[in-house]
This record gives sequence, C-alpha cells and structure tokens, in this order.
Amino acid sequence: MARGAENRQGSRGASRGLSWRQYKAILRKDIVMELRTKEMVTSMGIYALLTMVVYQVALSQAGTAFDPRQIAAGLLWLAFIFTSMLGLNRSLVHEKDQGCLEALLLSPVDRPVIFFAKATGNLIFLGIVEILTVPVFSFLFLQQGSYEGQWWMIPVVLTAGSMGIAGVGTLLATMSVNTKGKDFVLAVLMVPLMYPLLLAAVSATTVAVLGGADAGSQFWQAMALIGVYDAIMLVACFGLYEFVIGA
Amino acid sequence: MGDNHTDSAVEVRDLTRVFGVRKALDKISFDLPSGAFLSIFGPNGAGKTTLVNVLTTLTAPSSGTATVCGLDVVEGAVELRSRIGLISHNPLLYPDLSAVENLEFFADMYGIEEAEQRVRELLCAVELDHRRLDLVRTFSRGMLQRLSIARALLHKPDVLFLDEPYSGLDPHAMDIFDSLISQIREDHTFVMISHDLAKGLELCSHALILAKGRVVLSETRSEIDDAEFAARYRSIVGIGVA
Repeated sequence: MARGAENRQGSRGASRGLSWRQYKAILRKDIVMELRTKEMVTSMGIYALLTMVVYQVALSQAGTAFDPRQIAAGLLWLAFIFTSMLGLNRSLVHEKDQGCLEALLLSPVDRPVIFFAKATGNLIFLGIVEILTVPVFSFLFLQQGSYEGQWWMIPVVLTAGSMGIAGVGTLLATMSVNTKGKDFVLAVLMVPLMYPLLLAAVSATTVAVLGGADAGSQFWQAMALIGVYDAIMLVACFGLYEFVIGA
Repeated sequence: MGDNHTDSAVEVRDLTRVFGVRKALDKISFDLPSGAFLSIFGPNGAGKTTLVNVLTTLTAPSSGTATVCGLDVVEGAVELRSRIGLISHNPLLYPDLSAVENLEFFADMYGIEEAEQRVRELLCAVELDHRRLDLVRTFSRGMLQRLSIARALLHKPDVLFLDEPYSGLDPHAMDIFDSLISQIREDHTFVMISHDLAKGLELCSHALILAKGRVVLSETRSEIDDAEFAARYRSIVGIGVA
C-alpha cells in the first residue's frame, strides 16, 4: 500500500486548489454534455416559448383597454419558474439514471463543491433560456404604449432572481431525485420556498417595465429583498447539501 | 500509509445499518488483511451491497465502526475516498462523454497530477486506446467494464471494491476482466460481491457469507472445502447454486 500512498501526493483531501479544479470539472462536464445532447436547453426553451403562446391566447380576448404591461412581470416569472423546474429535474435525473452520481460521490469531493457546480450549470442554462425568451415576450406583450421603464433593470433582476432559482432549485432537485414522483415533489417544495423571491422579483420587474417617479428606490428595495433571499438560501443550501445528497 | 498504517485493510466492528425498521446489516464484524481478496456471498437482500456502500462511504452506518486503510468510513470519509475504487455491474461512466473525457473528468475529481499521461496509460492497459475519442454510449458491455476498471484504478487506490463485476459480461469479456484483475492482484486489496460461487472461490483468499444482514460464515481460502462450502451456501440461501 506504500506504493499507492507515494503516488497520490497532491491528490488527497479537498484542498482549495483541488475544490476549484473539481468545480470546473463538474461544470465543464455538464456544459459539454448539454452541448451534445441539448436536452435541457431545448426542452426548457420550447416549454418557455409554448408558455408565451398560451399567455397570448389567454389574453387575446382582453380587449384594447387592457394593458398587458401591468401583469407582464408576473407572467414572465411564472414562465421562468415552471421552465426551471423542468430543467432542474433533468440536471439531476441525468446524473442519477446513469449511476454517475455514485461515482461522483465516491470521489474525494466536498459536497458543497458539487452543489455550486451544479447550481452554476443550472444558472447558465436558465440564463440561455431567458435570453431567448425575453425578446419574444417583449414582442408579444410589451408593444402596447410607450416603454416607460429602464431596460438595464431587467437583466439585473433576471440575474439575481435566477441565482435564487438555480441555488434553491438545485438543492430541491437533489432532494427529489430519489423520490418516486420527483416532478411533483420538486414543484410542491419549490413553489412555497420560492414565494418570497418571486414576490420581490415580480415587484422589481414590474418597476423595470412600468417605470414611475419613484422607480429607482422601489427597484432597489425589491432587489435588496432578492439579495437577502439569495444570500440566506445559498448559505442554507451550502450547509444542507452534504446531508441532502448523502440521504 | 503514514500515520494510518495498519495490517488490516478493512476492519469492521458491530456494524449495523437500519433502513426504517429493517436491519440491512446487523452487528457485522470481520477483519481483512492488506493484499487479501475477500469474496462476499449471500442471497438477494442479505446486505452485501449495503456493506459495500458503507465501506465505500456511500452510506453511513447506523451504529458500529468500520475502517478501511485505517481510516474511519465516517470521520475519514473524504481522505478514504481517494484510497478506494469501486467497480460495479453499473459502469458509473457518463455515456455522453468519450472514454478519454470520462477518465479526464475523474482525474480532475481525484486531483491526479499529469492526468493526461495517466489516462493514456490506463486506456492502453485496458486496450481501449483505439476507442479513446468515441462516446461511451457506443461501447459494448465488455468495453464499458474495461473502461470502468480504468476509472477505478485512475487514482491508484489501495482497496478495490467489486460489486458483481461479472454481471452481464460474455465469456470473452470475463476473460479480459480476469486478466486485468490478475495483473493488479498483488498490489491491491479486493472486496468482491458475487453470486457466482465458483468464480468467487477461484479468486478469493477469504470468503464470507451474509444472510439477513449477518455474517453466517467467515473463512480463509485454506480453510474452505469447496464442496462443503457450496453445500453450506445452498442450505443458507435455500436454493441451488450454479
């Protein structure tokens, strides 16, 4: 056994350098696999676009007096939350189905490293879907009346909100992946936990769309709530992930 | 093995693992010296896989202790993971990555220095160098198992766990697998789960039969009379043994 020990210098433990290498490896692996299979982004993208079509049908009889900008932010985040559930589930199911999660857990990787890598991957994939969806959404629902908000606010709130969705969603998807009705379990866990985030994100996005005299302070107030939510949830996920993934 | 040096590669004391109200492992105790080959037999549901899961840190014990390479499976789990390897009936490889991408990924996970060279060595050793750039989903069962060996040996583990490694292999693939195992036989300690009594006894230096989460027989190879062992195994399992 001394032979093995001699040859393993630098490979034991989870030093900071090794954790960074492991983080990059998991993230790179997820991106390469997604580029090859296009499973997550394609299914999420099509689902999001179909949701837009359904929204348009639902609002088709609203009449010209109705201004869809009043509810645009809510519709947008509703689409993102359901779309993200689809992708989040797939990100872990893929790992589980092939038995690869076992191999990952057998390696000397700190479990929070897996969490952060998976959450980053989910954030990137969700971001791509948002980049594709927002222009379509704007074209369909934000044409009526002049745009009075400030465009730069939209990417800011989308990024902050998506961080919360990706972080909490990754934890919950890991919890639900071993359950029988994983899709149902994820939805049941995710919607109540996301409630504060959704509320703040819809508020900030509404300000971004409608503008107003006090838009700046209202926006940053909502963004502060999103920031606090993200921070608390990411710390909680960091602490809980080892327990959740090992359960 | 530095401070953790011990003559026993595996030490298990009163190990119990409970799932709900069911005891998958019930106060199991045994020792396995370094360099030994332990074959674990037992009927379905005997606790074999749970035992390997505990020893490989995938499942925490409910009570009792287990050390592998002198490291506790709970307290020393992170360090222990870099000193063990698992070859399962499931290849534990990503089908949408190529052979070389799979091994490079796990090389990163284990923090292996000069990973490219190590990956090339192992792909040659398992005779898959010519398929190094092919996606793993295109591999046959035998090729998957050979690549699985390369994955498990990547970080030069001290103890190798084999969970029904022959499952689904054709005779030719079994011969190649045997040849690879015999090449690394002297440098490693092995713990193998098997339903194949003949194959398990052929390879082992120690044998153990589990039933209902308990050790019902534990002997060294020199103590084993094959016919008698098979008869006792049949009586324990309650079915014929091929």
